[in-house]
Amino acid sequence: MTSAVDMQSKVVQVSPEVKAIHRRLKRRQSINRALTYLVGILISLWVLIPILFITSMALTTPAEVRSYPKGILPFIPLSTETMEFFLNSRGILPGLRNSVIVAVITLSLSTLIAAPAGYALSRFIFRGRDVFRLSILAVRAFPIVILSIPLAVVFLRAGIYDSVYSLALMHTALALPTTILVLSSVFSSIPYELEEAAMVFGCSPLQAFRYVVLPLVMPGIAASAIFTFVLSWNEVFAATILTIQNRTLPAQVLVTLNQSSEPYQFAGGFFMMIPALIFIYFIRRYLFNMWGQISK
Amino acid sequence: MTTASRPKGRTRINWAPYLLILPSLIYLVLFFGWPMIQGLILAIREESALLTLRSDAEQNSPIAGQLPRGMQVGILETQGNPIPPGEPAQGNLLTEVWFRVRGQDTAGQTIEGWSPERRIRVRESDADGTPTAGTVRSILASSADPLTRIYTEAGENSEVVGQMEARTAVEILDQATLEVWFLIRGENGNQTIEGWVPSRYINTLGDETQGRIEQGDTSQFTTRYIQRMVNDRFFWPALRTTLLLIVLIIPAQFVLAIIMALVIQAELKGSGIFLYIFAIALGISDLAVGIVWYSIFTQLGYLNSILEGLGLIDVPITYLSADTRYWILIAVWLAEMWRATALVMVIVIAGMQAISREVLEAAEVFGATLWQRIRYIILPLLRPSLQVALILRTILAFQVFAVVIVLSGGDIITVLSNETYRQYYELQNSNVAAAYAVFILLLSMITSFFYLRAVRTQEEVAG
Repeated sequence: MTSAVDMQSKVVQVSPEVKAIHRRLKRRQSINRALTYLVGILISLWVLIPILFITSMALTTPAEVRSYPKGILPFIPLSTETMEFFLNSRGILPGLRNSVIVAVITLSLSTLIAAPAGYALSRFIFRGRDVFRLSILAVRAFPIVILSIPLAVVFLRAGIYDSVYSLALMHTALALPTTILVLSSVFSSIPYELEEAAMVFGCSPLQAFRYVVLPLVMPGIAASAIFTFVLSWNEVFAATILTIQNRTLPAQVLVTLNQSSEPYQFAGGFFMMIPALIFIYFIRRYLFNMWGQISK
Repeated sequence: MTTASRPKGRTRINWAPYLLILPSLIYLVLFFGWPMIQGLILAIREESALLTLRSDAEQNSPIAGQLPRGMQVGILETQGNPIPPGEPAQGNLLTEVWFRVRGQDTAGQTIEGWSPERRIRVRESDADGTPTAGTVRSILASSADPLTRIYTEAGENSEVVGQMEARTAVEILDQATLEVWFLIRGENGNQTIEGWVPSRYINTLGDETQGRIEQGDTSQFTTRYIQRMVNDRFFWPALRTTLLLIVLIIPAQFVLAIIMALVIQAELKGSGIFLYIFAIALGISDLAVGIVWYSIFTQLGYLNSILEGLGLIDVPITYLSADTRYWILIAVWLAEMWRATALVMVIVIAGMQAISREVLEAAEVFGATLWQRIRYIILPLLRPSLQVALILRTILAFQVFAVVIVLSGGDIITVLSNETYRQYYELQNSNVAAAYAVFILLLSMITSFFYLRAVRTQEEVAG
C-alpha cells in the first residue's frame, strides 16, 4: 500500500501541499499499523491466556491445583504429578488407545474414499457434478446429532454397538464431506497441464497421477488427514452415544466429569488440547483451502 | 475452477468421474441418508403398537382386527401352534410340548400321530431324559371329551388320525415344542374384536382368563414421542437457552471474526504467528474448551483469583450455581466466543483473499477511512462468505453440547443437544431422543433457508 504512494511522490514534482498530504498519509498509516498490532496482540492474549491457565493447572502439583488464589506457571512449581494422576486414572489409557484407533481409521478411510471424489470434482465436468457438489455442501452443514441416535439403534440391532470400529464408521461419515471438498481444492491447485505433459511423454493417466500429481498433492492430503484426525479426536457427542465400554478419551472424560476431581478435569482438558496446539501449527496454511472452499 | 473447464469426451459419456465419486456416494447413502431416514422413522413411528388378531389360530389366516398395545383382553381359549422357523424367542412366549405317539386307537388299530403333552403321562424315559413311553391320561372333567385325539401333525389345526382311550399305553417317538395361541377378546372403540394371537404378545397376569397386550406386531404412526418431547419439563428451557445463545453469540462472533481477519489481512510482520494463535481454537474440542472456562469460572478459579488479587472482592463469588444462571450463560457465551470464532475468521479470510487488492488500494488512495472501506467494499463483497459462515455457525450452535454440560453440570441450564443426550443415555428413550434430533435438524434447515432467503432478498432490493 505504501508503494503506490511512494511512486506517486517520486513521479510528480512535489509541491509543499502534496508533501503535507503525503506526511499525513504516512502518519496515518503508521498509526494504523500500530493500532492493528495492538488489536492483534489483544486478541492473541484473549486466546492465549485461558490456554496458559489450563496449562498451569495441568503441569503443576495437585495441591497447587486445589489452592486458592490460583497461580500461573512460571510462578508455581512445575510438576508432572497432575498429568500422571490423570493418565493413571481408570479408563484413561484405554480411552486414549481407542481415540487413536478411531482417529486413525477415520482419517485413512475418509482419505481413501474422498480422494477419488475430490479428484473427479476438480478434473472432470460431468452431468450431476453440481448436484453432487451441492449435496456434499449440504451434508457438510448438517447437524451430526441427528445421525448418532438412529445409528446407535441400527448398530445395536446389527450387534456392532459399543465398538471403536463402528464409531470410526460414524466419524468417517462426519469427516467425508469436508475431506472431499478440501481434496478437490488441493487437486485444483495442481495445473492439469502437468498431467497432460506427462501423458504426452508417454505416461498412462494412472502413471501421470502416480508420478506427477501425487507428490505435489501429498502435503495437502496430509493436512486434510491431520484435520480429520483432530476432528475425530475432538468429537464427543457421537462417541458418548455410540460406546459404553470402549469409550474414547473425550467420552470417558465427559461421562466421569461429575464424579471427578479438579486436577483430573484440568489435566484432561489440557491433554485433549495438545493435538490442536501442535497440528494447527502445521496445517495453518491449508486452513483456507479447507474452509474457503465451502464459500465458493 | 479453471482446471475443471476441460471437458473430456464430448460425444460419449465419460464414466471415469462417476466411478470416482461412487465410493463416497455409497458411503454417504449408507451412513448419512439411511440413518437420517431411520431417525425420522424412530421419531414418528411407534414400533409394535398394534397387535393383529387372526380369525383362526394360524399365522396365515384372515385378519380379524387389530388391538392396541397395553389393552386388557379376555382370554377365551388356548391352542398350541408350531413356532415359525427363524423367529427369536420373546418375552411372554408360552409353549406346550407335543409328542408323536404310537398306540392302539378306539377301534383297536395301531395308529401313529401327535398329541399334546397334557394328554400323555410319561412313564419311561431314556438315559438323556427323553421320554420313550407313556399312557394316555384320563380326563376327569365331565364336560371334556373322554377320548384323546391324535393328529397327523403337531398342532390342533391338522387332521385327526384317530382317538385313543384313557390309559392306553403308547410309545413316544418324537416331541415338538409349540407356541400357545390365545383366542382373545377386546374392545376397540365401541367394537368388540375377537381373534387368535400368539401368546408371546400377551401377559397373562397369572390367570388364564385375563391378559394384557404387552407388545404388538405392527407399527403405526404416532405423535406420542413428539408430544413427550414437547411436554418434557426441560424442552422449553432447552429451546429458549439454545436460541438465546445463538442470538447472543453469533453477531458478536462475526464482529470479532472480521476484526481478526482484518488484522491477518493487514499483512504485518509476524502475521503468520497471529494466524496460528487465532486459529488454535479451531482444533480444540468443545469439551476441553468447557474445562478451560470452568477453570476460570469455578468458585476457586482464576476469575476470583484475579479479582481478589486486584482487591476487588474479599470472598470468592459463586458463579456456576442454580442461583446465578446468568453467570453460566455468560461463561458459555465467552467459551463459545473463544472456541468458535476461529472458524468464522477462516471463512472470512478466505473470502477476503478473493477481494482484489487494487480495489482496496484505490479506496485508500482516495482517502476512504477504514470504516468506509469495511462498510462499502469489504462487507458487500464478503456477503457470500458471510452467508456460508452464518449457516455453518448457526447449525453448529444448535449442537452446542459439551461446553454447556461442563459449565452447568448438565441441568442448571440445558440445551437441545443435551436433552437429546439425556433422553438417549439417561432415560434410555431413543424414540424421544430421535424426536429431539429431528427437531434440531428442522430448526437448522429453517434457519439456513431463512439466511439464504434473507440474503437473496437484499440482493434483489439492491439490484
